Amino acid sequence: MLSFIARRLAIAIPTIFLVSVFVFFLQKLLPGDPALVLAGEERDPETLAFIREKYHLNEPILTQYFYWVSGMLQGDFGISLRTNQPVLELIGEKLPVTIQLAVMAMIIAMIIGIPAGILSAVRKGTAVDYTANIIALSGLSIPNFWLGIMLIMLVSVHLGWLPASGYESPFVDPVRSLETMIMPAFVLGTALAATLMRHTRSAMLGVLKTDYVRTARAKGLQEKVVVLKHAFRNALLPIVTLSALLFGELLAGAVLTEQIFTIPGFGKLIVDAVFTRDYAVVQGVVMCTAVGFILMNLVADVLYFLLNPRMRTAL
Amino acid sequence: MGERPENQANHPDDPPLLTVENLSIRFRNAAANTVDGISFNVDRGETLCIVGESGCGKSISALALMGLLPMPPAEIASGRMVFDRRDLLTLSPKARADLRGDRMAMIFQEPMTSLNPAFRIGDQIAEGVLRHRSISQADARRRAVEMLDRVKIPAAAERLDDYPHQLSGGMRQRVMIAMALANDPDLLIADEPTTALDVTIQAQILELMRTLQEETGTALIMITHDLGVVAEIADQVAVMYAGKIVEQGPVDAIFDDPQHPYTIGLMSSLPSLGERQSRLTTISGMVPTIETMPSGCRFAPRCPFVHETCIARAPELTSLSRNHLAACHFAPLEAHVVEAV
Repeated sequence: MLSFIARRLAIAIPTIFLVSVFVFFLQKLLPGDPALVLAGEERDPETLAFIREKYHLNEPILTQYFYWVSGMLQGDFGISLRTNQPVLELIGEKLPVTIQLAVMAMIIAMIIGIPAGILSAVRKGTAVDYTANIIALSGLSIPNFWLGIMLIMLVSVHLGWLPASGYESPFVDPVRSLETMIMPAFVLGTALAATLMRHTRSAMLGVLKTDYVRTARAKGLQEKVVVLKHAFRNALLPIVTLSALLFGELLAGAVLTEQIFTIPGFGKLIVDAVFTRDYAVVQGVVMCTAVGFILMNLVADVLYFLLNPRMRTAL
Repeated sequence: MGERPENQANHPDDPPLLTVENLSIRFRNAAANTVDGISFNVDRGETLCIVGESGCGKSISALALMGLLPMPPAEIASGRMVFDRRDLLTLSPKARADLRGDRMAMIFQEPMTSLNPAFRIGDQIAEGVLRHRSISQADARRRAVEMLDRVKIPAAAERLDDYPHQLSGGMRQRVMIAMALANDPDLLIADEPTTALDVTIQAQILELMRTLQEETGTALIMITHDLGVVAEIADQVAVMYAGKIVEQGPVDAIFDDPQHPYTIGLMSSLPSLGERQSRLTTISGMVPTIETMPSGCRFAPRCPFVHETCIARAPELTSLSRNHLAACHFAPLEAHVVEAV
C-alpha cells in the first residue's frame, strides 16, 4: 500500500514540475513589463531599476525561474502587489472557503446523481429513465451563472429565504455559513450531479449485464440486494474515481459561481489577481490549484486501489 | 458409465419433480419461437441431459425454468412448468425468488465471471444460505466451510476469505457448485458447467458433480453439447435442435438406437478410437436462424433423408418404444431403410 502511494507520488513530482514551468513561462510570455506595472503611475527610471533589481528581473529567465521555485519550496510564494500580504497567507484565507463550497457541492451532486443514475439504469428504457436523462441534460446545458442569478432572484430577492451573497466561516456561525453557501453549492452540485448520474447509469448498465449479477439473482436474493450490493459495489469503482476528479475540478472551477455569489474563495481571488496584474498571486493560486488537482488524482488512485480486491491482494 | 439405481427417491405414484409441458419462448418481434413446444419430466434424483448445438434454445429454456430470463424481451408464449406441484408461471415473483437458490439452483458456463469479484467467496456462499434459512452468520459461515470441503477445495477454512480472482477456473466452478448446493436443492440446473474448463479439469468437475448428486439425491438437468458428458452422467436425454426437442429417451436408447437423423448425425460426428476409416463426419449446413426458420421440419434443410413431407409439415414427437420419442416423419428409420433396399 505504502509503496503504491510512494510510486504515485513519484509520478506526481515531475507533473508538478511541468506545471510550474508552464505557469512561470506562460506568464513571462504575457505582453507588458511587470516592472512597469509595479512602478505604477510614476515610471521613474530609478524606481524601475530598483524594482528590476529587487525582483531579479534583470537576471536570465532560467535564474528567475530558479528563484521563484526555490522560494516556493521554502514557503515563500511572494507578496501580493495589491494587498501587500504574503501570497501564501492569502491562499490560506481563501482555500478553506473554496474547499467548504466544493465539499458541499460534491455532497449535493452525489445525493442527487448517484441514486438517479442507479434508478435510470435499473429502469432503463422506461419513463423514469427518460425523465432522469432529460433532467440531467438540462443540468448539463444550463449555465451555472444563469442558474445562480435565477436562484438569487427567486430565493433571495423574491422569497427572501436566503442571503444573496456573503460568507461566514462555519466555525463562527455554522447556520449562517450554511445559509450563505447552500445556493452556490446547489448551483455547482446540480451540474456535477448530471455528470455523475450519466456515469453511474452507464457503469450500472454494464455491471447489471454481468454473469455475477445473474448468479446473485440465481441465489434468490431480493432485487434490492442484487442492485445495491452486488451490482453497485462493482459500479462504484469508476464513480469514485470520477468523483475525486470532479472534486479536483471544483477547487479550480468555481470562478463564475464565486463571482455571482461574491464568495471570497479561490475563484474570486484569481479573477481579482488577473484583473489587477497581481502576478505573484496568479502564479501562487495556479500552482496551488494544480497541486490540489494532482492530489485529488492521487486520492482517486488510492480509493480505486482500496476498493478493488484484485489490486489490494496483489501486494 | 456405471449402473445407477432407478430413481431411488421416487415412488411410482409420485408426480415427477419437474414437469415441463409444451413450453414455448419467444423474443419480442421475433419471427418464430426460440424455444418451440418442448416437454419433459425430471424425477427426483434423476439426471436429464439436454443436448444440442449452441443457439438451439437449451440455455434459454434453463434460464426460463429458473426465472432468470429477462422478460421482456423474452416472453413465455405457451406452456406450463410445474415444479414440486407448484405451477411456476402462476407464482408471484417473491415466491419464485424463494424457490430460487433454495429448492432449485443453477450453475453456469463461465466460472471466471460468475462470481462477484468484489466479495470473498465464503461470504458469497453464506449469503445464499442466510437468504433462505434463519440461521446465524456464524452458522452460515460454518456451512460455507462445509460446502467448500464437500466440493474438495483443499484447506477450505483458509480459502473462505479468498477473492474469486485468487482461484483458478476449476476452483471457481467448485465454489459455484458449493454455492448452488448449499441449501440442498431438489433440482440443480447446470448450463455447460465444464465447457470453459481444461479437459482434465472437466473430468474432475464432472466426477465431483456425479458424486455429490449420489450423496444428496438432487435431480440434475445438465445442459451440454458434449456427448461424452451425456454418456458419463445422463439417465434421460433430450436432444434439441433449433428450439425443438427432436428426440428424447433413456440414455441407452439414445446411444444404442438413435432414431432422429440429427441425433444420428451427432453420434457419427464423434471421433472414436481404433483404425481411422475416413474423415470425421459432420452435419452439413448451418442451424437456421430465427428469421430463416423452416415452416416444416426445422432440420429438413440439413437432413440427408429429407422428403417432400418434411418440408411441408413439421413432424410431431412420436413414441417409438417405452419412453423413447423422436420427431421425424420416418421414425423408426429401420422400416424405411428396409423399404429402400
